[in-house]
Amino acid sequence: MSYVWKFLVAFVVAFSLAGAGTAGAYHTQWVAQNCNYAAPTPTSYITRDGSITVALYARNEGYQWAGGCWNDNDVDDSPGDPKSDPNTGGEGADCSGFTFKVWREALDESSTAFHQWWRLRYIHGPYTAQRFKNGDGAPNYPLSKSAAIKMDAYASATHIGMIYVTNPDGTDQIIEALGESYGTNIWTRAYRGNSSYSAVRRLGWSQS
Amino acid sequence: MDEIRSSHSRLIRASGVIAGALAGIVTVVLAGTALAHRIVQPAAQPLLEATHLPPLLTTRGETNELRYDVYCARSEAEVDTPCTADGTVFARVGDTGMFQEIAVREERGASKGRYVARLPESIAQASTGFSYYAVFRSNETGMAATLPAGGSAAPQRSLPLGRSIEVALGAHSFGREREAVARVAEAAWGAGPAEAGLEQGRNLTPIGGSAFDIEEDGTVVVLDEANKRLLRWRESGEMPEAVPLAINGTQADMSIGKDGTVYVLETAGIHGEPLLRSFNRDGAGKTASAVAERPSQVRVGPEGPVVLQSSSAQWMPAAREGRPVGVSGQISAAESGRPLPDGRNIVILRNGNEVRVALVASTGVQRAWLVTSETPLAEVQLAEPHGTGVVLVTRVFTDDRDEFVVLVLDRRGIVRRFSLDSADWAETAPLSRFRVRGSFLYQLGSTPAGLFVDRFDLEVE
Repeated sequence: MSYVWKFLVAFVVAFSLAGAGTAGAYHTQWVAQNCNYAAPTPTSYITRDGSITVALYARNEGYQWAGGCWNDNDVDDSPGDPKSDPNTGGEGADCSGFTFKVWREALDESSTAFHQWWRLRYIHGPYTAQRFKNGDGAPNYPLSKSAAIKMDAYASATHIGMIYVTNPDGTDQIIEALGESYGTNIWTRAYRGNSSYSAVRRLGWSQS
Repeated sequence: MDEIRSSHSRLIRASGVIAGALAGIVTVVLAGTALAHRIVQPAAQPLLEATHLPPLLTTRGETNELRYDVYCARSEAEVDTPCTADGTVFARVGDTGMFQEIAVREERGASKGRYVARLPESIAQASTGFSYYAVFRSNETGMAATLPAGGSAAPQRSLPLGRSIEVALGAHSFGREREAVARVAEAAWGAGPAEAGLEQGRNLTPIGGSAFDIEEDGTVVVLDEANKRLLRWRESGEMPEAVPLAINGTQADMSIGKDGTVYVLETAGIHGEPLLRSFNRDGAGKTASAVAERPSQVRVGPEGPVVLQSSSAQWMPAAREGRPVGVSGQISAAESGRPLPDGRNIVILRNGNEVRVALVASTGVQRAWLVTSETPLAEVQLAEPHGTGVVLVTRVFTDDRDEFVVLVLDRRGIVRRFSLDSADWAETAPLSRFRVRGSFLYQLGSTPAGLFVDRFDLEVE
């Protein structure tokens, strides 16, 4: 075989193998290619309406277990990631990372300060759903479920979602990062009465 | 010397392969890097959203205020800048005639809605109730939102309860749940022939057996969405028949028509709009059509499937006489009550520790109940006509306990009342845990071991 033929055959084989490997790892690249690690912007106050707006910017975006970074193109840019792998680096937050970011909390658990993290900042925060449920961290505290209002959260051992609005039938519309097959959005849920769930509030809203 | 010469010649022969391989790898890396640098993230878009809890059923002298929350922002950087929006409510007496324009004013710090419209007494206290819709326009972005989306074609309807039958439940006594007459279906979690799947597994929110229904002959049908199939039990204790369905799942609701058509509402699909799919009894696909955003329930009305849209709190026809209705057609034909097969509507309003239920005919409220409780009430899981009254299933809760309360109500008040274990280890579609067929109430329950359907007799004390 001539040199040229050997070169071409090797090129095609290497290109195919490397390309396949890269394609297979595509979803692991989303965070690396799109997100940043910029410092958060401290703010002097936060409002429930403002946090709803932060959350609304994540509607129709993806879900990533242990993730915390999304854009605003209303598409899951890394669909179909394995459901039980926290290291796939795809678009979206998980439920507790989403709550941390929407409630604009600090990484320092003893701080109740308000931090605007921006949607493309990759951050999950220190709390799991169970830790939110427990009221762990200075900014989070449990409250009676019947007193929960918009932007308070219902948390179980495995999940947390925030109240958007209550429905006439007594269910709530919850804004939440639910799972790889669901992404992040507003759905009707019956968490309020379910005894697996407790109510949690972020400390320091500037309006009721 | 010969060995050196031989190695040298092997290297020369392999150089083509090495160079080609290197070139291939470098090309992939360079192409990937170039692609990565070309990704430009879009700026966060301006947004405008409005929410409202409609006063679907009112008592005499009750507030004449309509309250709304409006969320808007020009960009991500301005989320805490108070949104200013102009709003107008269009209201009228009853459900015909001209709408009257009522300005909406802003009331900062209000916990039940920051924008308020005060209705004139002549509208708010009208004996036939009133209908209304609202239009908001952001002063910053010019974006507009109409609520409900159907506007004047399908306004929200508010009805006076009239002489409602008052039912006081008092303080709930937990731990006195009724035992089932029979366990009519049972499946362990799994993917086997007689098992039901758990979407997302056990480590994330367990979702499984997302909905169920009872066929005309009493056959129990569970939507095993994780395994993309129906499980059908003709008799308790037997192996269920598994019927594959072409669905995506995602916490889907399900209802079965009298002709056996299976309607599956996929509420949470991330890959597109929510869908209503219909299937023959054998699982053969019939239709798949888009439904208006944020649907949460599907039931069967007199003309076909109807879907509850959470954002408007209205029921919308998804198909008529077997033909899908387009999204704009759904929105413009929406109504506040759920259409019942007998032509009436049923309207529910839970507010705090009170539930209002009304059966509504074309002439207005036919019969209504006002249920109060000293123990907090959560969702109304089921409200269905039963004899001359209704069966109502609602959840009572404290911060660490919950049960369902079943009420059989008629013109005298409570005919029967009992409690049920909530049995809700796994998530379902939000209001898919109960069904009534004849004089039996069925409950879809779950434990860490699996799901089950229990049957209760509504005629027995």
